[in-house]
Amino acid sequence: MAELNRLLIVDDNQDILSTFYEFFNSMNYEVKTASDGFAAVKLLKDKPNFFDCLITDLVMPNISGVGLISIVKKEYPDMKIIAMTGYGDQPGALASEAEADCVLFKPIDLFKIENIVAQLLITKDNSNSKQTDD
Amino acid sequence: MINIKNKTKSIPLIGVSKSILKIKELIHHVSDTCLNVLITGETGVGKEVVAQNLYTESARVSQNFVKINCAALPETLLESELYGYEKGAFTGAHRNRSGKFQMADKGVLFLDEIGDMPLALQSKMLHVLQSGEFSPLGSEQEFKTDVWVIAATNHNLEQSMAKKTFREDLFYRLNIIKIEIPPLRKRKEDIPPLIEYYLKIYRSEYPNNRVEKPNSDIVSKLVNYPWPGNVRQLQNCIKKQMIMQSWEKTFNDLPKENGQDSTIVGTDKNAMEIQELPDKKAVNSTTQIISEFVDLSTSSDKLFEDISLKKIKKMAADKVEKEVIFFVLEKVGWNRSRASKILKVSYKTLLYKISEFNIHPHIE
Ligand SMILES: Nc1ncnc2c1ncn2[C@@H]1O[C@H](COP(=O)(O)OP(=O)(O)O)[C@@H](O)[C@H]1O
Ligand SMILES: [Mg+2]
Repeated sequence: MAELNRLLIVDDNQDILSTFYEFFNSMNYEVKTASDGFAAVKLLKDKPNFFDCLITDLVMPNISGVGLISIVKKEYPDMKIIAMTGYGDQPGALASEAEADCVLFKPIDLFKIENIVAQLLITKDNSNSKQTDD
Repeated sequence: MINIKNKTKSIPLIGVSKSILKIKELIHHVSDTCLNVLITGETGVGKEVVAQNLYTESARVSQNFVKINCAALPETLLESELYGYEKGAFTGAHRNRSGKFQMADKGVLFLDEIGDMPLALQSKMLHVLQSGEFSPLGSEQEFKTDVWVIAATNHNLEQSMAKKTFREDLFYRLNIIKIEIPPLRKRKEDIPPLIEYYLKIYRSEYPNNRVEKPNSDIVSKLVNYPWPGNVRQLQNCIKKQMIMQSWEKTFNDLPKENGQDSTIVGTDKNAMEIQELPDKKAVNSTTQIISEFVDLSTSSDKLFEDISLKKIKKMAADKVEKEVIFFVLEKVGWNRSRASKILKVSYKTLLYKISEFNIHPHIE
């Protein structure tokens, strides 16, 4: 485990964003943040294949979380995706339909989500080691 | 292959404000995703222009752009327009007819005024978007759809959901990409480039017309006017200027709310009347009449598109009828049956006209 795992965290709530940022930073992840789906898409285009995992809120202006998930699934199929929402079932259901790996409902326990990230990245590493690149 | 129906003229999205620049950038990033889009904003802000720009920047541009206005049609008609019908589906269905979903196949379906769609049709729409399949009325056959759905509304759908007039599940399904266009008064920087653009368009249409650019004083008045009708109203104002040949007069004719009339601020009434005199002479009664009709114009890029004699006759008649009906109703204290006797029309006709012309009692 030489390299740090890279996370992209997206939420239009600045408080949540900074809380997640601090937390994952302290847990030894390399973290970048975006305040909506559009900002995230631009970050991803800038750094394709940089991120291992996306954690995204669902209801956001411009490009919603569901939109972001669909785009990531298509353009960066190796990325793991965790969706989180505080808006009832509808957006969550759409996120599952867009094939998020996991959908969580707010409020979210940070240790629990870290656990999920770790699990997802293990399965990702396993499937990647068969066709090793870098 | 060039499709005949695909003559949708593409209007560029004019503007230099931060919000317009951001919308342009967003259009560029999402035009090839085919993700459902919801465009919101007041009437006349340019929702349809944005929809068309999404289409022209996408790979679907070689296919159809099909528009349907969900507010303009009664429920049953809207349903058959959307999905089509099979011969015999209802009385009057003499042969098969394909709907907008079919016409938009592999292209774009623009659902304008989606906020006005009746609830029953919202459920059906949701079902179609979920399953990607629909069947025409009276048909057993399921058709697969491949349309890019772009919806627009001037309603605040969050409020509509709270009032239960719009389905939450449909909202979230449409709201994958959200484009919110602010009213023109919140992006005043866009006003000068819009004026320049439309002056150029209208001038090229009528090269013999003398076109006067607004001076800086007028520009600042136009920039500070609140434009409740947004870009559409600004367009009409520019058209009107081309007929009146006076920016001053055109600006003064714009409806003002109390306190917004910049010409009155700091000038007493007499001074203003004197100031207006030369214009009054210049503008004869013909241009006055024509400019009134331009006010009612709804088409965008053609200066005189709405001015057919037939239409004008109807508009003029409506205008006079409306005034007379209102006058009589006020005289008889809104006793409609008395008014109908005086006007020598049936009670039913009168009620119809009151609602058509949107006549209300005068409130002091
Ligand atoms: N940014 C813009 N640049 C150029 N024309 C515009 C712009 N916004 C609106 N218009 C014009 O203003 C009119 C109203 O726009 P439209 O898209 O029909 O508004 P809405 O659908 O929001 O009511 C149209 O004629 C359109 O061409
Ligand atoms: Mg419109």
